[in-house]
Amino acid sequence: MSIQQPSPDNEAANPDENPVTVTETATTKNGAPTKKQPPPEKPSDVRRRSHIILSFWLIVLCLGLPIWWKTTTIYRADLPLQEMLDWSDGKACRPVFPLRISIQANGLQEQEAQNLLRLTQHALDDLNDFSGHHLRLGLAAPSTSDHYDSESVLTIRLLPGETTTAKFDAHEPVLDITYPPNSIPSHTSSSSPLATYVAGQLRSAFAEEQATISYLLSTNSVPSDHRPQGLSSDVADSLAKRTTRALKYAPTYHLTFSLFTSGPLPSSWDIDQAIEEYMKPVLNVLSPIHNFTIDTQVQLYATPGVQNQVLNKEDLSSFINAAEWPLSPSIGGAPTVNFIVFIGNQTIAVPSQDPDEGSAPGSASHSWLIPQWGTVYLLPLPHDTTHLSAEALKQPLLTFTSHLLSLTGTPQSGSLPLRLSTLARIRSADLLLRASSTLGSLARLALALPSISIPGRVADGVTKTIRHLRLACETLGGPEGLAHARIAEAEAERAFFEKSMVGQLYFPDEHKVAVYLPLLGPVAVPLVMGLLNELKAWRKRRREAAEAGKEKKRE
Amino acid sequence: MDGAQVTPGQTAGLYTGAAVLRLAIATLLPALPDLLTGRVEISTPVTSFKRLQEGLFLYNHNVSPYDGGVYHQAPLLLPLFSLLPSFTTLPIFTYLLYIAVDLLSASALWRIADSGEAGSSALFSSPRRTKRWSGFVIAAVFLFNPFTVATCLGRSTSVFTTYAILHAIAKAVSGAPFGAMAALSFASYLSMYPLLLLPPLVLLSYDRQRPERAIRSVAKFAAICTATVAGILAILFQMSYFLTGSWEFLPSTYGVQLTLSDLTPNVGLWWYFFIEMFDSFRSFFLAVFWLHLSSYVGGLTVRIRRQPLVVLTLLLGILAIFKPYPSIGDTALFFALVPLYRHVFPLMRYTFVSAAVILYATCLGPAFYHLWIYAGSGNANFFYAITLVWNLGLSLLVCDLMFAVLRDEWEVERPEMVGKEARQI
Repeated sequence: MSIQQPSPDNEAANPDENPVTVTETATTKNGAPTKKQPPPEKPSDVRRRSHIILSFWLIVLCLGLPIWWKTTTIYRADLPLQEMLDWSDGKACRPVFPLRISIQANGLQEQEAQNLLRLTQHALDDLNDFSGHHLRLGLAAPSTSDHYDSESVLTIRLLPGETTTAKFDAHEPVLDITYPPNSIPSHTSSSSPLATYVAGQLRSAFAEEQATISYLLSTNSVPSDHRPQGLSSDVADSLAKRTTRALKYAPTYHLTFSLFTSGPLPSSWDIDQAIEEYMKPVLNVLSPIHNFTIDTQVQLYATPGVQNQVLNKEDLSSFINAAEWPLSPSIGGAPTVNFIVFIGNQTIAVPSQDPDEGSAPGSASHSWLIPQWGTVYLLPLPHDTTHLSAEALKQPLLTFTSHLLSLTGTPQSGSLPLRLSTLARIRSADLLLRASSTLGSLARLALALPSISIPGRVADGVTKTIRHLRLACETLGGPEGLAHARIAEAEAERAFFEKSMVGQLYFPDEHKVAVYLPLLGPVAVPLVMGLLNELKAWRKRRREAAEAGKEKKRE
Repeated sequence: MDGAQVTPGQTAGLYTGAAVLRLAIATLLPALPDLLTGRVEISTPVTSFKRLQEGLFLYNHNVSPYDGGVYHQAPLLLPLFSLLPSFTTLPIFTYLLYIAVDLLSASALWRIADSGEAGSSALFSSPRRTKRWSGFVIAAVFLFNPFTVATCLGRSTSVFTTYAILHAIAKAVSGAPFGAMAALSFASYLSMYPLLLLPPLVLLSYDRQRPERAIRSVAKFAAICTATVAGILAILFQMSYFLTGSWEFLPSTYGVQLTLSDLTPNVGLWWYFFIEMFDSFRSFFLAVFWLHLSSYVGGLTVRIRRQPLVVLTLLLGILAIFKPYPSIGDTALFFALVPLYRHVFPLMRYTFVSAAVILYATCLGPAFYHLWIYAGSGNANFFYAITLVWNLGLSLLVCDLMFAVLRDEWEVERPEMVGKEARQI
């Protein structure tokens, strides 16, 4: 940058004491240098120098400063910080799941049914210790007797019978309870064994959901008055295990079925038919909550990560040969669930100790579940099998199906319809809490780092998140609740991980010196020095002019 | 040598020689022009002939030439080149066009040299002005300068800007302010940066007005000139708008120069700096670089008010160093004007050093680029280091020329100092 200050050089070359650009050192004959005092500077030169300095400073002040201000101020969009913190503290929304349960009692008088309902509700309220999860009973209209009430979570069908029994319908959220004729409570009785029985049944049916939701609330920062008491530590442990095993919620999961064999055979399998037959029904019932995409692959001569004949518990984690097996981590943004059938006669030494393991003991020695990833199934086969039929795949696929349910976080107990509706509620609570805590993190980040830039997109995302959170909170428990929670969570994540915000995160103020100084320092020196010299000369001239004026007056 | 003694035969010989040299290289070594076209020293994103062909192809197929983000040049070049026979079938016509532009530039330079403006302007006459080269020599130096030849063969569109600038200066010294302003508008339209030459060019035209229709007031004259430039530019923009159907060409041509969105390496100083720049400071430093570039205009114009042609020469040198996409074509333009100051050459102190540095960088630049891009044994720092040396050489030359001109002025004021050693204090 040596050319940088040619003009400043020329003007700075006029020092105030010797107001001439150049002095010369003339060498006399005997070699001793003598200095001559240069003649005084002409007024036109002085004026010209002022103009030059002015021209540089005008550019700096009129263009440079505004541009500097405009381009380096950090844009911080207004965020509703207090509201965001309220959400993350659980103050903005009290997660309440009002569950409507309707009772169909076609064999009873209206009056009797009302009475039974009242008693059962009393019994339920006595049993319930968690205000956020509330079961409310209602009497179904007799006209809907053929169908279950789609508005309510569960329909209890009271049928006269010999003994008191309870049975879940396999396809609909219906609980059939038979009662002996003498167990109908009278008008005056304040308690009834049937009412207690129904309440107990309901309580056990929703116990898991309740525990899961209390666990979710307790792991998030919800104020203690909303928090349920008495979640025993081993229940909490098993819930924690289940939660960590389940995949993060996503609207779409990608299922990859892979057949790995250590040799050249078998080279084909009837996977399409097997999926259609054994897995599709479950995928269909999951479809309101998740979409699934499926692909399959066959890989020959695949060597596992562990080649022992008997696999220990430690071997299971390294069995997957991640380096060589073509298992893509995720396709098209959707999380991938891997289901692997490995043809080999290796056995598992220690059957899974996990009490929650849903698979049968026979299959447990062949398969294991890898949390948030998928399942491996070891299938022993005779060496000359060239084709795997659908029947041979039955056991693996049933195992995969049950593992898929636990990978999606479905509760373990109850009938399938009930488990799925529970899953939807758990997921919406989970998403709601996660979006709220992301909002809180964003608010704390914005408060902690005053130099971070907050683009307008982030503010938009926050507004959208809060709007959908509010809607989700109002409709919690229903299908719209899940949809809103889903949008809220996606928006919150997008706002938090805004790229332009992250780039500025670790940029302390000291670094600005290193950015500005190397270029602007050399430029500034001649500019500032020129200005200072000029000011000094101007003051001197003024003083001299004032003195000359005084002299004149005196004369 | 005196310019008056050049016969028409010599003139024709010079032009023919220059044309034949270019044509001979193009026809005898057909691979060389294409090699030169690809060189980063010659073709920048805003002047590259390859990109022009891309834009031309899109234009001829009724697609906006700016689609694809390759073409960054002025829209009016497109109809000009689509009038020519296709370059792939008949390249000779393209060469003839470029050679003609080079010869026109040389003749404009010749007129500037013959006017004697460099030695004696309206407000100042150098005591050394008799010692000068004729227009013939100066045109010859320009035409046979390897940089000029390489730029012509590389078909960089900067030759059009060069011609427009030289023509503007020639018009200004011959007392035709309107022609000068029109030519400068064309130059600005093609490359934008010549707009910075407006203040000294206005002063030059003002000083060299024909007495019979001169405008006395500087402010009025400057206002008329500025209005002329603005008007012609507006017409050119409007034509471009009709041609391309949208204002998209503005961000694609001038926007690219202003924001340096194409970071292809070149001989300048910007690309490396903005590769390294933190994103959040990018816009600020873009503004700083542009302000730095334009801050010289005011200072130089005020300081060397008496010799506006010197200001133009020095500014062209500074622009060749500090503009966003410089090429050796810009250096060739600066070198074309330097020989006009033959009379102050004896006052220059670092001619050897700057000449040596420039030659050194000329030889090593392509080698270092090769090491970086093709051999892979060097990195970007290699090439950037040699461009620093190149620009150092040019800066030395600019500074030295300025020193010599100022000393020449100073010796008129202080005749007793002629020939004595002086130093700045």
